[in-house]
Amino acid sequence: MALYQLFSHPAERSYRAGLCSKAALFLVLVTALTYIPPLLVAFRSHGFWLKRSTYEEQPTVRFQHEVLLVAFLSSLSGEYLTWSTFPTFNQLHGDNVRVSMMMAREEDKNQDGKMDMLHFRLELPLKPTEHVLGVQLILTFSYQLTRMSRFVMQSMAFVQSSFPVPGAQLHVNGDLKLQQKQPLKYRGVDTRYNVSVINGTSIFASDYNLKSIAAAYYERNVTTILTDSNPIWLVGRAAEAPFIINVIIRYPMEIISYYPGFWETIKFAWIQYVSILLIFVWIFERIKIFVFQNQVVTTVPIMTQEENYKEHLS
Amino acid sequence: MGQVSGLVPSRFLTLLAHLVIVITIFWTRDDNIRASLPPSFTSDQYKKEDSELVTALSITLGLFLIELAGFFSGVSMFNNTQSLFSIALHCCAAVSLAFFVFESWECSTYWYIFTFCSVLPAFTEVIMFITVFVLKKKSF
Repeated sequence: MALYQLFSHPAERSYRAGLCSKAALFLVLVTALTYIPPLLVAFRSHGFWLKRSTYEEQPTVRFQHEVLLVAFLSSLSGEYLTWSTFPTFNQLHGDNVRVSMMMAREEDKNQDGKMDMLHFRLELPLKPTEHVLGVQLILTFSYQLTRMSRFVMQSMAFVQSSFPVPGAQLHVNGDLKLQQKQPLKYRGVDTRYNVSVINGTSIFASDYNLKSIAAAYYERNVTTILTDSNPIWLVGRAAEAPFIINVIIRYPMEIISYYPGFWETIKFAWIQYVSILLIFVWIFERIKIFVFQNQVVTTVPIMTQEENYKEHLS
Repeated sequence: MGQVSGLVPSRFLTLLAHLVIVITIFWTRDDNIRASLPPSFTSDQYKKEDSELVTALSITLGLFLIELAGFFSGVSMFNNTQSLFSIALHCCAAVSLAFFVFESWECSTYWYIFTFCSVLPAFTEVIMFITVFVLKKKSF
């Protein structure tokens, strides 16, 4: 009957020496050489402390049903027509206001509770002699992110387009993309930009000036912009037909950058340190076994119980 | 004879590895000098840094001579402490100088490596010489 090794276990041998001996000094140096170089290696090869990270989330975007429209006509005296959902703005512009019909519908294609698209249509009634050459349109949204910090802001999509020939319809099709100049926080509530883009309660004309609205908006560190560089103009308007503006805006999945928290940073630093430490521990374990076993430094080897027993027997 | 036969070849190998890298640095010192100077420099500044590095390398070679003399003559070949000390320091030096060459470190770092890994073992070697020849003590 052949015999197979079923079980084995290591027997420990310990080496003793005084605290002020060469052996103790050797051990102190080797321990320092085991634990400090991995830190140096991990640090010098960059990326030890995670300073910025990214994650993916689909934001919760809702159209606020606030619209500001300016349509430039083809006369040389700079005539324009305007309409908005702000009563004060309409009062300030008096005769230039042309009441338009607006229809908006949001769609949740994948039924996950977050809207994915906005279908917006605006019809601006025109007299047969009026021709539209340029359009400026602001639509406002509420934008919310919840995975890391609870980030809520009021943002806008600004469409500006002009065409050399009088147009009949304008079709805009784009995504509402997030622009970050600064990473977001990893926890807490962030409502710095939860302020309406256009202050509807203000009575001052300067607050409805497109230039100052845009200036204040782009000062923000986190904004949204509409990514459509080529709105499509259709020409050949029938005499009594209104000018139609069709806007389709998608709310895509965003990759958002943020400052990682303390534990996330420590976790990644620890992974890097320990994986290099394992190699150093293994190497210096072999060196220590060689040095102590061969008495390169003088120590007193202590035998285990079994060897002691056998010594007494023989 | 000392009881450990593995220490002598290890010491020889680490000494030679360190020596080879120091000689290599004589040829590749241009990158390191450029790393220590600002992006636009005059040829005077270059020559000054160059002569400093060449001085350091030459002194290293001199200290190597002392240590190799002590090793080959048998004065410290079988002394376990000196062997271990020398192996550790020259190993660190070989690794650091490999980084020095590949990562183009500044010339000032060479002085640190020089102090710890060339001056120290040569110093202990000289102490061994004194112990053996002057104080007439056996070295192992």
